[in-house]
Amino acid sequence: VTTALIVGVGEVGVRAARQLVDTPAIDRVLIADRDRKRASRLADSLGKQASAVDVYDELPAGVDVVATALPRTADAEIIERAIEAGVPCASCDDDAEAVAVLEGFDDLAKNRGVAVALSCGLAPGLSDVLARHAADTFDEVSEIRIARTGWGGPACQASVRRARHQPALEWHDEHWRDDQPSGELLMWFPEPIGARDCCAVATGVRTLVSAFPHVPRLSFALGEPPKRSMLRRRFGDDGEWGAARVEVWGRNAHGQDCLVYGVVERTSVAAGAVLAVTAAHLADALGGLGERTAPPGVHGLGALVEPVSFLAELAQRGVRVAVFEGVPVA
Amino acid sequence: VTLFRRVLFVLGVAGLIGLLARFRGKGGVPPTSGGWRELEAPNFR
Repeated sequence: VTTALIVGVGEVGVRAARQLVDTPAIDRVLIADRDRKRASRLADSLGKQASAVDVYDELPAGVDVVATALPRTADAEIIERAIEAGVPCASCDDDAEAVAVLEGFDDLAKNRGVAVALSCGLAPGLSDVLARHAADTFDEVSEIRIARTGWGGPACQASVRRARHQPALEWHDEHWRDDQPSGELLMWFPEPIGARDCCAVATGVRTLVSAFPHVPRLSFALGEPPKRSMLRRRFGDDGEWGAARVEVWGRNAHGQDCLVYGVVERTSVAAGAVLAVTAAHLADALGGLGERTAPPGVHGLGALVEPVSFLAELAQRGVRVAVFEGVPVA
Repeated sequence: VTLFRRVLFVLGVAGLIGLLARFRGKGGVPPTSGGWRELEAPNFR
């Protein structure tokens, strides 16, 4: 019996729980949230396979994988507890400081022989897999630029707002460079999103550097969330559609070249699918993804999964990627 | 009074230049060519 535990049932957690229930090799899905009623309602709606649990004191017995979809920095405690118990975990927290905290568990995870997947969302997350997929076509990669617009729920929106106000972090000629945000860059995403202003941030750069240590330049940009207003808070806004753009420059048989991949999907749907597929992979519940066994330690998805089988699994779940054909404009 | 007039004049000129830039400017998105193609199994290339 393969059991997955999902902690946090916000916009992303709900989608991840549904995806895990729909994964044939996952027999049982345990759902935990600080709002016990919300967790119970979700478990009831997902059928017999799902049940609500509490994880305040210790992990429930028999859990094979833990997936966390909590606000920034809130999942460090549960992930540490899972590593101690020898259970692999996947987190969708993409906050730069939170990721640095989780990376601090690397030695512990290696000692316990446990794999921990970081930043399992649309971007970072799926974007790291696309960067790996693109990088595999080059003999030498010189630059990777990733951009995202869109956000899942209120916690994700707050995280984007925070990242855009903090100093940006870039990997430049194999050195860290932290700058104040230097204005907006126009980024082209697949239709119907089109062109959006994005600004360089620290989000997602650490996991990229770990996955691509020999690439001289790595950067990440985030689009602007909508202004906070009473009407938006009351009636929602149009920010749920998101997009990611992955631009990889390098040298191949034709000389200097560029490959641009893109995704358009509801941000929380894509993030939920990525989190669930990663968790299922860590639990060995996806045969096709088992070609690359998850190595012990704390990793971003660019270092953890086989891109083609991961993309195939996501495509089956409705998350599709596109390639830009033409003259790219950054 | 002279200083006040000068400040008003400078603000007026700045506002006029701002309006001209706003309505006569050539902003917007730069041109691009090409389009997006969905990636298909088995290779996703």
